[in-house]
Amino acid sequence: MAALGRAALLLSFGLVLYALVAGTLAAWQRRRRLALSAQNALIAAFGSTVVAALVLWSALARSDFSFTYVAEHTSRALPLGYRLAALWSGQEGSLLLWLLILTGYSALAVWLNRRTRDLVVWVVPVLAGVASFFVFMLCFISSPFRTAAAPGDGAGMVPSLQNPYMLAHPPLLYLGYVGLSIPFAFAMGALLSRRTDERWIVVTRRWTLAAWTFLGVGQLLGSHWAYVEIGWGGYYAWDPVENAALMPWLAATAFLHSVMIQEKRGMLKVWNMVLVALAFCLSIFGTFLTRSGVINSIHSFSQSPLGGWFLGFIVVCVIFSVGLIYLRLPLLRTKTKLESLVSREATFLYNNLLLVALCLTILWGVVYPLLTQAVTGETRSVSKPYYNFFLHSFGLPLLLLMGIGPLVAWRRASLRALGKTFVVPAVAAVVTGSVLIALGYGSSTPGLLAYTFGAFVAASIVLEFVRGTRARRALSGGSWPAALAELVGRNRRRYGGYLVHASILMLAIGIAGSSAYQTVRERGLHPGQSMNVAGYVLTYQRLEQRQESNAVATRAVVDVSRGGSHVTTLHPGKNWYPVEQMPSNEVSIYHDPRNIGDLFTIADQIDAKSHTLFLKVLVKPLVNLIWAAGFLFVFGALVAMWPDAVEQRRLAERYAPGAAAA
Amino acid sequence: MRRSPARLVIALSVAAVLAVFILYTSVAGAGTPQIQPSDLARHQAGDVMLVGRVVGAATGDAHASGGLHFVLRNVQGDKSVTVPVSYSGTVPDLFRAGREVVVEGSLHNGTFVAKPGSLSTKCPSKYAPAKKST
Amino acid sequence: MTIALALAALLAVLAVAFVARPFLREPEPVSDRLDELSDLERRRLELSEERDRALAALKELEFDNRTGKVSDEDYRELVGPLRRRAAETLRALEPRAGARHERISTTR
Repeated sequence: MAALGRAALLLSFGLVLYALVAGTLAAWQRRRRLALSAQNALIAAFGSTVVAALVLWSALARSDFSFTYVAEHTSRALPLGYRLAALWSGQEGSLLLWLLILTGYSALAVWLNRRTRDLVVWVVPVLAGVASFFVFMLCFISSPFRTAAAPGDGAGMVPSLQNPYMLAHPPLLYLGYVGLSIPFAFAMGALLSRRTDERWIVVTRRWTLAAWTFLGVGQLLGSHWAYVEIGWGGYYAWDPVENAALMPWLAATAFLHSVMIQEKRGMLKVWNMVLVALAFCLSIFGTFLTRSGVINSIHSFSQSPLGGWFLGFIVVCVIFSVGLIYLRLPLLRTKTKLESLVSREATFLYNNLLLVALCLTILWGVVYPLLTQAVTGETRSVSKPYYNFFLHSFGLPLLLLMGIGPLVAWRRASLRALGKTFVVPAVAAVVTGSVLIALGYGSSTPGLLAYTFGAFVAASIVLEFVRGTRARRALSGGSWPAALAELVGRNRRRYGGYLVHASILMLAIGIAGSSAYQTVRERGLHPGQSMNVAGYVLTYQRLEQRQESNAVATRAVVDVSRGGSHVTTLHPGKNWYPVEQMPSNEVSIYHDPRNIGDLFTIADQIDAKSHTLFLKVLVKPLVNLIWAAGFLFVFGALVAMWPDAVEQRRLAERYAPGAAAA
Repeated sequence: MRRSPARLVIALSVAAVLAVFILYTSVAGAGTPQIQPSDLARHQAGDVMLVGRVVGAATGDAHASGGLHFVLRNVQGDKSVTVPVSYSGTVPDLFRAGREVVVEGSLHNGTFVAKPGSLSTKCPSKYAPAKKST
Repeated sequence: MTIALALAALLAVLAVAFVARPFLREPEPVSDRLDELSDLERRRLELSEERDRALAALKELEFDNRTGKVSDEDYRELVGPLRRRAAETLRALEPRAGARHERISTTR
């Protein structure tokens, strides 16, 4: 069966190469049937990739250890769900997943837009070019279909990967990363076809939003996984692989905002091209970082031969996009100017600059070890203090802008009008800040600023909904809920966007509370001994051990009380996995409804003989806002993405072929 | 028609970002060197990130006053070069002989004294996140 | 192994057939030329986008005025040019207005 997988991949390779070459020829020489043929080849490549993926999945399901990949990443004891998820737990399989999603997205995007022939004719070779790199890697460098004599049992899956997050986190991230290829391809297609209109933005708007949402949710899931499973008490370590997903997400955030300016005012055309190329190149760079082992990371793999190939591909992508944008600069010139530094366009511009600045400083921090090694011969690295400094420097103003932007009008806002609209949010901010200082929250300046700005943003968002609903009600009557529904329904992008902003606000507040205002204590305890942490009293009672399906679980029984009454019993501990010969940390968390936070316990060290426990305790206020934000984030994005019949009709009429005046 | 202030805004912002950046690096220093045991001789002063492979069993207790003691050797180059390490704080679960670890600290009288809690390990297999101590 | 090869061969045949389909369906087409947007069509698209932009801006300005974001004074100042712009693009997009296209594009 491995032969079928190899053959299917080779077929995919042939098909995407054909789509690339024939597609380019067809676009250049305006040959209709050849263009259609190239389009079909790209679509067929998805079909053959599906076959390859099914072959590997079936091998994983059947535990066919003659497949080297199956033997290296699974074992007989591994439950079926994780065996199937092993498709993306290794290098070769995850490349196959990337290709599967890429060809799937490409087929869908090209099919949905097949009537915009003059644009799609160039999109096909761009997508085929990207796909041909990945297929080449799979066919010739890193094949998932290598076979060998089947061992009795496989090597198993690392214990920390054996949890439901493994089923969701990588696929969601990939749906995001790969999704950024579509707006990139359409942007390059628009440049190649010399189209100066907004068609490429209109058709890729939902793709970009969906990719961005997947990437955001994927990262949030990864953070939650790290928080509850790896359990060092944090959720983000500024590890290069974590940053690898954050950077394209930041670039895509900037892009999502600045395309709105291009749509409304016809400005920033060059900037948008640069941003979409940046987001795409960063997504490829992200997967390069994760795979190549080039930068020390707790996630990184052993030094792999893929690094050089990926780097080469990134260089090609950068040269291609920069070169094409440069060549088409005359087409992208716009006559519209920024009229005022106090306008919504200007706040979007500031927001963009801050997002890109943050993205680039993270990029600098990630490649710093490589650069220092190359320039001075000595590797130097930056860590948390560097990233936190810039997160505060750029992130806090960004937070504030989230509140300012909606209050400012397009084109030009008079200071008097601004004064009126700013009053309520400013008062909310000042009051919040004063109260917090009085309560002692001034101990952390970034934390205090985050909360204060957060109050401004919250008031601003609420006001937008209230004022909008009131105006809608004045226009068409009806109840408040009906007016609100109509308000959102008529402008889904704007109000969906505000909901997403609200989720980012929740995220920011959750991060501020759980980092700036957390309490950490650690102590060695004998059975019966207690420790006090931020009002909780934790008493270590005893050790317990039990046999689980594939591990030996050791747990410390810890009673938690507050104000003399029992709150909960926690069981931090460790698991030992005999097949994999590895331990895993098992934290125990109490979700405290009083502060929407967590009491987080880690059994740092357990002495089975003396029953001594070294317990690390963290009290993290507001941390659960971070996870709750994820739900609002998805909801807001769905509202923003929801199709609008009125808008669809208008766009269809605008782009209807052959409606030009005689 | 009035010149668009957009370019001015962009230029000023880039300048501001660079200024913030230069300010940070001049105050906080330009990163921590990542070195192997054989390079320690050249880095007697200041903190470094020591990358090495654990040799033999560790002794002591990371949470007791004496701390945990282990030996690290070069990962690349001359693999016979070793250095003793003294560490206190959280020990990652994956820590054991043969693992590649990273620890921050500085050399004192021939022993690498690590900053508490700065030990982290890299998982040997692909795509597996290893434990971090903080 | 033979099944695998047979399936692979079948897959290849299907793929090639799908790729060759445009040529098989139209062995002798009337025209094999891929249409490009004519200059007129490009101009029309640009004007449609400008029209939609102007109309959307008007709607938004009015709504911003209702919600208090834009004062009555600012509204009066901003609405005039927007209405003129919208009217211009609407006129330019009318059929039998070919001559006006040129006039408008040269007066900006």
